[in-house]
Amino acid sequence: MTARTAPPPARRRRAGGLGPSPWWGYAMIAPAFIGLAALYLWPFLKTFAKSFMDTPAFGPGTWTGLDNYTDLLGDGDFWQAFGNSGIYTAILLLGVPIATVLAALIQQISRGRAVYRVLYFLPVVTLPVAISMVWRFIYNGDFGLLNWVLSLFGVQGQYWVADDAYAIYAIGVVGIWMSLGVNLIILGAGLQSIPPELYEASSMDGAGRVRQFFKITLPLLSPSVFLVTVLTVISALQMFDLVFVMLRSVDNTALDGSKTIVYLFYEKAFVQFDQGYGAAIAVVLLLVIMLATVLQFRLQRRWVFYD
Amino acid sequence: MTESALRPRKANGAKPSHRGEWVLHLALTVTAVLMVAPFAWQLVTAFKTTGEASQSPPTLWPAEPTGDAFATFFDSVPVWSQFTVSASALALRVLGQLAVAALAGYAFARLRFPGRTLLFGLFIAMLMVPSQLFLIGQFELIRDLELLDTIPALAIPGMFSAFGIFLMRQAFMSIPTAYEEAARLDGAGPLRTFWSVMLPMVKPTLGALAVLTSLYSWNDLLWPLIVSPRGDNRPLTVGLAGLQGQYGTDYPTLMAGALVASLPLIVIFLVLQRQFFNGIASSGLKG
Amino acid sequence: MRHSKRRSAAAAVAATALVLAGCSGGGDGDEVTLTYATWSDDQKPAMEAIAEAFEADHPDVDVEVQVLPWPEYWSTLQVGAAGRTAPDAFWMLADQFPAYAEGGQLLDIADAVADADVDLSAYPESVMDLYDTGDALYGLPKDFDTNAVWFNKALFDAAGVAYPDDTWTWEDARAAAQELTDADAGVWGIAAPIDRQGGYYNSIYQAGGQVIGDDGKAAIDTPEAVAGIEFWTRMQADGSSPTLQQLSDTEAVQMFMDGKVAMYFSGSFWAQRLYGDEALRPNVGVAPLPMGEQRASMISGILNAGYAGSEHPEELAEFLIFASGEEAARLQGESGAVLPAYDGTQQTWLDAMPEFDLQVFVDAVEYSVPLPIAGNAAEWTGLETEYLAPAWNGEQTAAEAAAAYNAAIDEVLAE
Repeated sequence: MTARTAPPPARRRRAGGLGPSPWWGYAMIAPAFIGLAALYLWPFLKTFAKSFMDTPAFGPGTWTGLDNYTDLLGDGDFWQAFGNSGIYTAILLLGVPIATVLAALIQQISRGRAVYRVLYFLPVVTLPVAISMVWRFIYNGDFGLLNWVLSLFGVQGQYWVADDAYAIYAIGVVGIWMSLGVNLIILGAGLQSIPPELYEASSMDGAGRVRQFFKITLPLLSPSVFLVTVLTVISALQMFDLVFVMLRSVDNTALDGSKTIVYLFYEKAFVQFDQGYGAAIAVVLLLVIMLATVLQFRLQRRWVFYD
Repeated sequence: MTESALRPRKANGAKPSHRGEWVLHLALTVTAVLMVAPFAWQLVTAFKTTGEASQSPPTLWPAEPTGDAFATFFDSVPVWSQFTVSASALALRVLGQLAVAALAGYAFARLRFPGRTLLFGLFIAMLMVPSQLFLIGQFELIRDLELLDTIPALAIPGMFSAFGIFLMRQAFMSIPTAYEEAARLDGAGPLRTFWSVMLPMVKPTLGALAVLTSLYSWNDLLWPLIVSPRGDNRPLTVGLAGLQGQYGTDYPTLMAGALVASLPLIVIFLVLQRQFFNGIASSGLKG
Repeated sequence: MRHSKRRSAAAAVAATALVLAGCSGGGDGDEVTLTYATWSDDQKPAMEAIAEAFEADHPDVDVEVQVLPWPEYWSTLQVGAAGRTAPDAFWMLADQFPAYAEGGQLLDIADAVADADVDLSAYPESVMDLYDTGDALYGLPKDFDTNAVWFNKALFDAAGVAYPDDTWTWEDARAAAQELTDADAGVWGIAAPIDRQGGYYNSIYQAGGQVIGDDGKAAIDTPEAVAGIEFWTRMQADGSSPTLQQLSDTEAVQMFMDGKVAMYFSGSFWAQRLYGDEALRPNVGVAPLPMGEQRASMISGILNAGYAGSEHPEELAEFLIFASGEEAARLQGESGAVLPAYDGTQQTWLDAMPEFDLQVFVDAVEYSVPLPIAGNAAEWTGLETEYLAPAWNGEQTAAEAAAAYNAAIDEVLAE
């Protein structure tokens, strides 16, 4: 594939003007459009409408304008959930430099690359329910593997997922562990597109490996790093499943202080029968995600290099 | 592929001497151990008795390895029928996804029509919406189509993914336009150009998308629960989730079930990993 | 990204639909299919036996028993009901009941019950009260549960402490809990989680307090109620119980089964599970909850309810009456699954597990109090941990925590 020898942008742009009647375009996106409109756009609009309603558990709602949103602003649980989602996102962002360094290391070795890739990717191909079960077990304060390992080093263990002082951080670690494989692939693809000649030239100039990483790899990899960062923020802000499976047990007192935004949405809409309020939470989350994404695209000019 | 792309990476200038490479291997291996440890622990626990699983300090190896946990799992979950459902839904979803995404991806990458940018932006915006928001509306649609409890119901929403379209668009964009121009000069229409010239060139990306879609399909749990109310067509994930019953915590059985349910996908992945990694790498995912 | 979205959806594992579990579907030809949604694997055999017994009487009806994961049960039921595809028959709990009843989702079987001459006095009055809506009747009680002290005889013997009996007071219980605690051995006298049904609600009523007062407002800040809460927080404070963190990691019942706690105050619904552990069985004892100012035990029960949108309301009503009737009650009792609600069938349950002194749970009906329900109970009970955990952790006094929680409950009730 010639991905690495893409034609100059000018040609590409001109090429867009070539071609058949616009109807071909419409015909080819029709299946996608119909599906996305019916299964995503329409359901979304319905939920959006509900955010302006007072919705009884069953039956039609009544319009209440912005009431749900004003209630939201005064709801301490909402702000706490927001904070937790923020913490989780920040932790997952720490995974980006880790993935970048690992991708660069893998790129550098001559043998065994495939083995490492497979091992790092295993969490991605494992059922999320299964992952949560395993980690909950590992984090157990009384007989978990983690505390036992820590005790070997003389470190006092904690009730990682049973204490709201730690739970969201413990879950963040699982999040990094789960997402590393995908990030490595995206970054690995970016690394492959860096022309080897650049390294050869800088080697002749006597640059060491660390220096090359910062002077060549990082700048040229920055579009991939940017993509990974954007994807990470979007998915981290939507995190729900780990809290759901790891903290939601009969007696878990850590859940209260560890809810994320989407968890709160789920709870309001599906446990407490308040879909209108839940919808308002989801809409606010959507706005935050969009804002964060737009902001990142704005900021990318400062640090992302496109050749 | 150009020749340089295929060259082994060690040609990348800073030829790591074998002397220095062990440091890299050490770092990578330590990380790999951390990545794999939870799986190893899962495996070990699956062969323990319930009592031994909650001992403190934990035993690193089962005192008396037992397969009871597996037996319990196979007794309480209809593994084979659920496996069939999982596999059928996966096949259907992958085929649908590839067709939808390739067509739309090509159109967005190469065809010019009014509203293209707007539509593409709309699709991409959908990526940012938390999926729970779609739940009820999708369920109602499937119900109104009278598809509840069918395999298509499991597969349909997943066929339409903005991510797939994005991925395919990127792949098509990375192909030089010279190929299409040549096809056009030969008198090929847009459909033929798409089918016989362009599609073969994005095979690796199609492969990657297939693997990714398989992943999501196999792992999907919430949706299958919703659309198989009668329970006639439920995938393996549902069986596993059911294990986390109302009371208590039988860790060995949970670990055994988690292992069995994850295994088919892990095997597929191990077999197809080369295609998968190549596909992703060549897909233009590099941004 | 698509990826992560699917993932979240996946783990929601179920949030929604298991219970749609049985859309009210008609079968082929004349065959009528009713789906019956439950959440307990332990009870599945008994429920299937009941379904079979009903089918034997009604050859044209097919009853499918569905077991949904507990964490997803209510969300799936809700989506199903809102989407007009709920199961025909399903288990209902008192705190969820008002929303469904007021929302018009439940089938009124009052007429069918009258036609069938069902003797409503055969059901415990306090359970009927939980589901009382005036004229309509949205189902019949399937079972009930009261609370008692589950204790581990081996741990009592090892510590040389006398077994609990019906003379026990709060003071006896607290003293025993302290004496039984052996930190070095990893053994605690009692499990003291924030557990309303098996724990602090009981002690609030034992102290003469109420959770929701007669005026319909929260009463959890009264001196009596605070005393009931202190019963538990004091045992946390003196180390007689595992901490809340420990109980979050490992549920209290598991701790009891692992021999790590000597006493667990909880419901009759554990009997089958404890009995099923053959190593544990000879060590399990049962005694009435200790006396405070008076005796009290929460009582609760599952209602067999039907979906108003069912396509087969007549067959459904017949099934609901049958599933809560005498024959079904015996089938349940014999399986050991739960204490059946129908009067006179409780002995079948006692006989199923003769080694356990289960009569204690039946006797508790006399002094039982219906689980307090008011307004959006799911919402205010959901606030419980947030407000009460500081008292259990020793960060606040019981009175402070109770006052704060009281205000929060009133705020929800005022909505």
